Amino acid sequence: MTRARRSGLAWLTALALMAALAAGLVVASSPRRPATAQDAPAVTVQKAHAGSATPTLKRRVVLLTIGSDSGAPKFGRGGSVEGGRADALQLVVIDTVKRRGSILSFPRDSYVNIPGHGTNKINAAMAFGGPRLLVATFEQLTGLTIDYYALTSFDGLTDIVNKVGKVQVNVDMNLRDSFAGAFLNKGKRNLTGGQALAYARARKTLPGGDFDRSRHQGQLLLGGLGTYQRQVKQDPAKVMTWLGIIRDEVKTDLPFPELLRLALLATDVPASQIRSIPVPSVAGSAGGASVVRLLPGAYSLFGRLRAGKLS
Amino acid sequence: MTVAAPNQFRPRLAVLAGVLVGVLAAGCTSGGGSDADGQAPEPPASSAAPARPLQVELVTMAKVPPGGPSASRAAKQAEPGLEQFLDRYLTAAFVDAAGREGGWDGLLGLFDKPVRASARRQLDALSLGADAAKVSAVRPGRASARAVVLYGEKRPAAATVRLAFDGTADTAQGSGQVHLRSVLQLLATGEGWRIAAFASRTGPPR
Repeated sequence: MTRARRSGLAWLTALALMAALAAGLVVASSPRRPATAQDAPAVTVQKAHAGSATPTLKRRVVLLTIGSDSGAPKFGRGGSVEGGRADALQLVVIDTVKRRGSILSFPRDSYVNIPGHGTNKINAAMAFGGPRLLVATFEQLTGLTIDYYALTSFDGLTDIVNKVGKVQVNVDMNLRDSFAGAFLNKGKRNLTGGQALAYARARKTLPGGDFDRSRHQGQLLLGGLGTYQRQVKQDPAKVMTWLGIIRDEVKTDLPFPELLRLALLATDVPASQIRSIPVPSVAGSAGGASVVRLLPGAYSLFGRLRAGKLS
Repeated sequence: MTVAAPNQFRPRLAVLAGVLVGVLAAGCTSGGGSDADGQAPEPPASSAAPARPLQVELVTMAKVPPGGPSASRAAKQAEPGLEQFLDRYLTAAFVDAAGREGGWDGLLGLFDKPVRASARRQLDALSLGADAAKVSAVRPGRASARAVVLYGEKRPAAATVRLAFDGTADTAQGSGQVHLRSVLQLLATGEGWRIAAFASRTGPPR
């Protein structure tokens, strides 16, 4: 054997040895990986469980939602939101246990007693004494304790709807109202902020006038609830988006923790379980001004609410 | 001289082989566990495996009011408190729950009062629950969370958190995996974060 051949053989032997050693080490080391969660043998520790919950609040929550005709610079409305007249008035009554409720829509011209101010249109109460007096007026009228109010303006309503990205409303009639700028066809419509405001304001061309308008305002609230629920179902973090918008656009005496709890509860109250009820009333006049007088049916409605039979 | 040449090769080859083997062995060791002593492999995933500390990987976004801090600053400010809360939650629900046959007050204290009774009824969907009694230890694996924080005037006011936790639980029959997937709606209180609503599931992933 030549020296060159012997040298080559030695290299080959060494390489083969190293390869064998390396292979041996790899094989030997494989089962020695430290145990991880993925390595765990298939012992079933947990069965599948699912659950969810939203807050359980006191049995009934009554919220007065108010749309002011002031404090809306975008619409040329000066003054403060709280110092204006309350042109949209809904009483929202939620049974938090049965997860159902009612929205009572009041015509703004309802002729009622305002504590300390005699009889007048209900929308004047806020101009006389701010939201507190308006709440007191409603409490005296209905016999219900109103827990909180939520107040916004034209600007606030349009901003809310635009920021949440349109609100789906069941428009109940074809509308051609140039006074309010409402041009909508009957059916399910996704309304922009401007369209939502127009729908809430249109009155002059509607057959029922103020009655139709207050019903539309109730529909708008329900549409907002449905839109909120759909968005939160898709993305639970939308609760924070909506709360942020409400924080910026709505004046309320709701403490934040209660606002959050109500917002969470609202995800759990099907819109189909909320009835929109126009308060029974009839057109009339007082001192030459056109007003709306509540009918006896309105007072029996309040009685049923007080007894917890409606919400 | 001619014979000596291969002899000069042998020590060089041996050194080379030794170095190579050393490097390979070191590589295998750093890959996990030396086999140099030639003992039989340990049974996998037993309680002897080193426990990794619970650490929640948290990604936070913030929604701030007009005129408030920047969203990134607000998120950064909210993060430590949230992380601490989620750590407390997972510790009470899983890590410290092993062997427990009752007494979930520590965990339930993390819930806002209006939802506490519902949480008590649904412990199995929120924690080890009834399985805690048969578990001797829980070793945390991956814990991650994504939070959207609503910032108030000066501090966080509420948050939505998507929480995922995987771990290994040891029982007398062996070890198995535990999982949690939750959406927690949180309220900031004077005593820290509290869970105001939840949607949660435990058990094998879907």
